[in-house]
Amino acid sequence: MKQFALWLSTTFPSVFIQEHNSWSIPAIQSVHIVGIAMVMGSVLMINLRILGWAWVDQTLRQTVSRFGPWLNGSLWLLLVTGILMVIGEPVRELVTLSFWLKMTLVATGALVAAIFQKTLRQHEQHWEDTLVHRRSIKTLAILTFLIWVCIIVLGRLIAYDHVWGSWSPSERQ
Amino acid sequence: MLEWLQQTSLAVHIRDSLFAFPLIESTHVIGLTLVFGTIAIVDLRLLGFASTQRSFQRLASDTLKWTWVAFAVTALTGGLMFITNAAVYFHNPYFRAKIVLLVLAAINVFVFEVTTGRTVQRWDQARSAPPLGRTVAALSLVIWIAVIVSGRMIGFTTTRASLAEPAPVETNFEDLLGLPPAK
Repeated sequence: MKQFALWLSTTFPSVFIQEHNSWSIPAIQSVHIVGIAMVMGSVLMINLRILGWAWVDQTLRQTVSRFGPWLNGSLWLLLVTGILMVIGEPVRELVTLSFWLKMTLVATGALVAAIFQKTLRQHEQHWEDTLVHRRSIKTLAILTFLIWVCIIVLGRLIAYDHVWGSWSPSERQ
Repeated sequence: MLEWLQQTSLAVHIRDSLFAFPLIESTHVIGLTLVFGTIAIVDLRLLGFASTQRSFQRLASDTLKWTWVAFAVTALTGGLMFITNAAVYFHNPYFRAKIVLLVLAAINVFVFEVTTGRTVQRWDQARSAPPLGRTVAALSLVIWIAVIVSGRMIGFTTTRASLAEPAPVETNFEDLLGLPPAK
């Protein structure tokens, strides 16, 4: 991975971002944060609806129709800006434990979002009548929110990968 | 005053800890994403871009209480980060810009409350707020994005007071957890 990161850092797009890093890196990171904010707002509202704490005058379907597209769109924005950050600083991103833990959770979070939206489309009535009232589903909603919270923490820890001690590949040579 | 803040035992503890600053900063990001995410829901409703079929007052009451909780978390963690290196942050232009922007955001909310907010009964079910309300909403989005940008710039234009020593490769999670040593 270190070899790949070093090679990536010599490619044209990477060199371009590095040469303009005074504004390019903070700009990309800021867009990335705005994207995370849209994800967090959307996930919070859908989960509050499942918990019955907000949007209770709207059906689950209506709530997900409102926030699902914003959630999905923001996830694509995060993918694009995330890839740009990896291209811009390959070693700083790829040679960390935090990054790979984060990617594992991102894959999990995105998969949960996709499966949830798909099953809701296919079994709308079942969701509205029974599933949304189930304790297990409410627990899953809280867990899903916590996955996104952990993703934010791990994202920030990429910059502080030394907290993992010997588990951090950047601490070994 | 700034010097005194930096010398408080709380500030010293955060500086000396390996985990405190990264975790406080992470909590700050969690808080601010929830602040912006929930404010955006309200602003997009005012602008007529999303949730246009739903009563504004219902939407606001579902959303803004979470904004305030998240804002409290963000302000608290922001304050904790500030005291670790108060003199440096205080003189940082992006920090100052961010404080000015936060004041502008507050004025913006105040303007809304004393104008369009007063007549909410008249447009509660309308697709969007009256022109002044839409202006406030657009300004709010711009100001909060600028807050995020200036916040990110603070991190690029200051160095931390004293970087906590990285955990020596010998004091290991493997030892703590009884795992075989990493290669």
